[in-house]
Amino acid sequence: MTSRPTVTIIGADGTPSNDTHPLPSVFKAPIRLDIVQAVHTGMAKNKRQPYAVSEKAGHQTSAESWGTGRAVARIPRVSGGGTHRAGQAAFGNQCRSGRMFAPTKVWRKWHQKINLGQKRFATSSAIAASSSAALLLARGHRISGIPEVPLVVNSTAFADIKKTQAAVALLKAAGAAADVEKVKSSRKIRAGKGKLRNRRHQQRRGPLVVYDPESDSKDIVRSFRNVPGVETSSVYALNLLQLAPGGHLGRFIIWTSSAFAALDTVYGSTTSPSELKKDYLLPTNVISQPDLTKLINSSEVQSVLRPVKGGAVTKRTVVQKKNPLRNKQVLLRLNPYAAAYSKQGLGHLKVEDGKAKKVDPSFIESLHEN
Amino acid sequence: MATKYESLSPDLVWEAVRNNNAYLVKRKQAGGVQFSRDPLNLVNKHSRKYEGFVNPQAIGIQPDGNTVSLITKTSKQNQPASAYQTSSFSSTTPSRKLYKSVVNSTAKKGYRADLRAQAVARASAVKLSQRETKKGAQEKKLRGSKARKAAAAVKEASS
Repeated sequence: MTSRPTVTIIGADGTPSNDTHPLPSVFKAPIRLDIVQAVHTGMAKNKRQPYAVSEKAGHQTSAESWGTGRAVARIPRVSGGGTHRAGQAAFGNQCRSGRMFAPTKVWRKWHQKINLGQKRFATSSAIAASSSAALLLARGHRISGIPEVPLVVNSTAFADIKKTQAAVALLKAAGAAADVEKVKSSRKIRAGKGKLRNRRHQQRRGPLVVYDPESDSKDIVRSFRNVPGVETSSVYALNLLQLAPGGHLGRFIIWTSSAFAALDTVYGSTTSPSELKKDYLLPTNVISQPDLTKLINSSEVQSVLRPVKGGAVTKRTVVQKKNPLRNKQVLLRLNPYAAAYSKQGLGHLKVEDGKAKKVDPSFIESLHEN
Repeated sequence: MATKYESLSPDLVWEAVRNNNAYLVKRKQAGGVQFSRDPLNLVNKHSRKYEGFVNPQAIGIQPDGNTVSLITKTSKQNQPASAYQTSSFSSTTPSRKLYKSVVNSTAKKGYRADLRAQAVARASAVKLSQRETKKGAQEKKLRGSKARKAAAAVKEASS
């Protein structure tokens, strides 16, 4: 069996050190996009604030229907006179200044309850997906400069980070500068009313820095918070909305080495329960080999397959007939001599002496004899 | 370092990204065409076979100034900084030699032999795009600010 895979720990200058850490079991959790998406849809709803139109909107008039016989529709009409409003239709959703259809209510079901098991499944799935360079690329992260996925940076490199300047320098050393640059250049003014509601700008998401609050310094949060797109999170409170923004797997995560080491205590493994989550075992993969090519080419499958019928070249049955006079290959198949014939140019030969020989008259005579 | 993640495979990644990913370009024209912006996609088509970031082996051919660069993937897929092998062919390389080199360094070695024709075709197209325009020929009017910016950048690089 292969040895338990390890991850190299990156130093402060961005070069791989000799230190390694075994890959925490959570990275082997099954990747279930459907669960992640369903949980994300629910979780994204849990920050909403109620809104509704005014209860009174469209009903602040004493309109009454005129009844039949006035050659106008029987919709309630504003009473009185002396203003243009008098006689106008009111209340109905089809009316100008009327109430909307099915006015929105503050008691709409704004929040979703999501089962804890599903939330934990989705989180571990999103963490596992963050170890795939392909999924990071598919999310649009610029990772061509980073030495390894998952990217683990030694906690000592974070220890003396007090200022944003130092934080940016560390990101640069770790090869994450391109991703921050992408976020910077993506900053746009939001379309629509959100501009007026404290959501003025839109930008991409950059790397997520995960630290261990018990051993890493608290300055990590402050020093990274003004770097565009960079978010920080405690390893004990990882959030799916940050691990899989938009429900798309593969967030670029920078782990501090102590946070990475803490993953096994937070999530446990498939056999030993987590120390921090009650009765929690990591989900197991339904299939142990997800690689289809390997499955198909495995000796177990190949040995029970029937051999391929026919040879490497199979005769085609229904084909269009080719004209051998136009198609040289077909002509050669029918008449192998055609090659030599055309090579020697026998078709273009002139008759050797200019005129045909005169036939001996006695020959013709004998030919016509009865 | 033998990092092997059992829960991940190209097939699984493809299932996760086939509906939406950063490289995918979806348009409603022509029955909903799906293209790809992946530099390792030889035909720019969104499909399991051609998508470069999904497959463990992939070939990319890109114009790079007036040279042609050939990108292949190495086996270090979890180390993005050293995951790609790039070689470039100068503008004076004859077309036939270029095709031969592309094929010799990929398909002939058993590296994505299924992409041989596409690799040659793309190398040819890139080469054609780099041909200098004839004197007196009308300069093509570029559409869109992005295209104009790209053309200005190429001009600056060559001068």
